[in-house]
Amino acid sequence: MSDTPDDKSPRGALPKAKIKKTRHAWWLWAVPLGALALCVWFVYRDFVATGPVITIYFQDASGLQENNTQIRYLGATVGQVKRLALTKDSSKVEVKARLTGSAAHLARTGTVFWIVRPELKVGAISGLRTIISGEYIAVRPGRPGSGERTNIFVGAESEPIAEEPGALHVTLLMPSLRSVQEQSSVYYRGIRVGEVLKYQLSDDAQGVKIEARIDKEYAPLVRVNSKFWNAGGIDFHFGLFRGAEISAESAKTLLSGGIEFATPTEVGEPAPDGATFRLYDKPDDAWKNWMPLIHLDLTNQVAGTNKPASLSF
Amino acid sequence: MPKDAVALCARCHFRLVHRKKNSRMRTFAFSLAALILYFPSNFYPLVTGEYHGLHSETTIFKGIHSLFNDHQYFIAGLVFCTSILSPALKIVGLLFISTTLNWKGWERSRTWVYKVIRVIDPWNMLEVFLLAISISLIEMGRVATVHPGPGVFSFTAVVALTLLATLSFDPRLIWDSPEEKRHYE
Repeated sequence: MSDTPDDKSPRGALPKAKIKKTRHAWWLWAVPLGALALCVWFVYRDFVATGPVITIYFQDASGLQENNTQIRYLGATVGQVKRLALTKDSSKVEVKARLTGSAAHLARTGTVFWIVRPELKVGAISGLRTIISGEYIAVRPGRPGSGERTNIFVGAESEPIAEEPGALHVTLLMPSLRSVQEQSSVYYRGIRVGEVLKYQLSDDAQGVKIEARIDKEYAPLVRVNSKFWNAGGIDFHFGLFRGAEISAESAKTLLSGGIEFATPTEVGEPAPDGATFRLYDKPDDAWKNWMPLIHLDLTNQVAGTNKPASLSF
Repeated sequence: MPKDAVALCARCHFRLVHRKKNSRMRTFAFSLAALILYFPSNFYPLVTGEYHGLHSETTIFKGIHSLFNDHQYFIAGLVFCTSILSPALKIVGLLFISTTLNWKGWERSRTWVYKVIRVIDPWNMLEVFLLAISISLIEMGRVATVHPGPGVFSFTAVVALTLLATLSFDPRLIWDSPEEKRHYE
């Protein structure tokens, strides 16, 4: 062992260990303190990251699940359903949901909540994703900066109709509904310029009242002397000498119904908002030959879109 | 050799210690931290799952509950013992020993608690394996994804801290005489 010449220590004497003083390990207390700080941070984050609990009353809450169904706005998750309960009179379902912190400002009057379900309408399939993912609650906030803070809402039955500033609303009267449906298109020379918002029986039950919206940029096309007619469905005539005559405006209106209108060559005054027109079953041949000169401002129209750029919340 | 000192070997320069340094304080600090983090690790979701927009979060308790409802009593019991019972027992036991170390007449209970800790110790790491297995089972690409939730950090921290606490505990402290205690603890 110590036979090597460079071992200086005398035989038999063991090398002495150096004694080094150690400091008291005060830093150890940082471990529980750090754990405590982490806990405080968890709790703090929970209180800050979560928004208020809101209550929404729905007529029908089928498909909603506690602690699962999400509230979404513009594709982002802004909340989650926490509890479902019946109201005291058993007429509605009380849905308690917690909003996320970033969406806390949605809890104001004017905000509308509705449940998105898969829906198969003629001409349109909507909410297709919900077949797999289950229903979710969609939300549309009211005007920014308006509305009082509130935590209680009444859920809408279906998606509310978007308010479009500048759009022209017209009321059409007809003896029976035929093929017109909600969201049926309104055409001018075959171009879609608006849609049917809703229909109902007229107050005296002698006809049907249809409310339609003409998009802002096409509003000048509607004049007080314009004529509207039903462009949907199939026109079937059978004449003894003419044979059968079938006419349909287009394959799409065949399914989903549609309304077309024309304006006389001698244009009248622009129609005021809320103007009422009669909806004819079919057009006069003369109407299709009208060639009014109306200037439109279509600068907002980007190819392929017919939504005005001003549609924002 | 003085109390707060280590010896450095003249030959290999390795540290030589008579006993683990600050053993009692280390054990106490680590197990206290583990106790603090034990609560968030059980209250916060351990796993968050995403299934086509459906969102679900699972805490350990919920997981055990659903296992129990599925009549998987054995696995439910196993998860309960390894994930909830054994860390709690171990943390409380270590805290108990390090606190009562100087109390006279508690030697028997200290020994008993230490024996319990030794028995449950090997079962403590099982939960991490369970977690790893369950995540790899449910990770099915785009259909369903499972992510570790906010609770998993504190959960891992609890496992690590209890491990450190056990490592830093010197069991000889339990049976030291008062003079030895003053010197070593």
